[in-house]
Amino acid sequence: MNWRHLNRAVHRDLGYLCCGLTLIYVISGVAVNHIDRWNPSYRLTRIESNIGSLKDVPREDLVPEIMLRVGETRQLKNVFSSAPDELTVFAEGNTIVVNLHSGSAVQERYLPRSFLYEVNFLHLNHPKKLWTWFADLYAVGLGLLAISGLFVLQGRQGMKGRGAVLVAAGVSVPLFFLWLYL
Amino acid sequence: MKLRLIFCLLILSCTAYAHAGVEGVYGKGITLTETTPVSAIYDAPQDYVGRRVLVEGMIIEVCAARGCWIYLSSDRPFEKIRVKVTDGEIVFPIAAQGHMAKVEGVVQEIRRSKEQVIAWRKHLAEEKGAPFDPATVTGPEVTYRLRGLGAVIE
Repeated sequence: MNWRHLNRAVHRDLGYLCCGLTLIYVISGVAVNHIDRWNPSYRLTRIESNIGSLKDVPREDLVPEIMLRVGETRQLKNVFSSAPDELTVFAEGNTIVVNLHSGSAVQERYLPRSFLYEVNFLHLNHPKKLWTWFADLYAVGLGLLAISGLFVLQGRQGMKGRGAVLVAAGVSVPLFFLWLYL
Repeated sequence: MKLRLIFCLLILSCTAYAHAGVEGVYGKGITLTETTPVSAIYDAPQDYVGRRVLVEGMIIEVCAARGCWIYLSSDRPFEKIRVKVTDGEIVFPIAAQGHMAKVEGVVQEIRRSKEQVIAWRKHLAEEKGAPFDPATVTGPEVTYRLRGLGAVIE
């Protein structure tokens, strides 16, 4: 087997191996690129309401009473008081801020976006640990994929002609934006 | 074939881990062992500005858009401190709200003119989709925050 056959085999098999993770990074990359406009991992809903004054409710009954009045049945995580007349109740997937006197309540509900949560989790390297090394390995794989791709075709279709022009065009795009914005 | 199988199993195991919760080490983790009360920072801020400290408290708010800041509760009632991290370096998940955390970082003093305070609070309100009234801002502000370097969420 000469080196071109080996190169083609490496390029083909790396392409197969990297396909899944490349698609994950593509989807997450687009989602995270537009982070100024939305939260790519969670669906957020803000609900303002008035649940009635709670000033006469005994302190120890406040949290269950608030959860009852807003219809929250999920598990209670914690409670924080940011002011004498304000209580923040943290439930799974919901943060409820209540003014005890006026009864005004603001709920901020959050729900992980199906699929996007998982792909962003991987793309943004939240798992750390073993995933960091795997992601590094994948990056090396992508590098090899790119380099081996340069030498798949020979002659005028390859790096002596069309291939070289396309590589130059591809490299010039980031250089142009660096010149424009840096 | 075996390689592809291992690849798929790894993806699946990491996806399962994604639902394991928000507990864990963020950023560079923590290196200090002694905790500084948040109240001590507010009582004598100039003693702490520029110093690396470890604070502990409940995560009471997370940046809804980027996860690039949190508010941590103080040891003193009704008090909290803001922790800002570099975008993308640490991303706090919104589900971390209500969890206890230890955060290590450098205390910073932030001075803002009235116009800057208005712009800042408007930006925060927009991130949360909450209303904002500029009339609530009465003048310039000096605030203290932590430039977060690492955290452990419990």
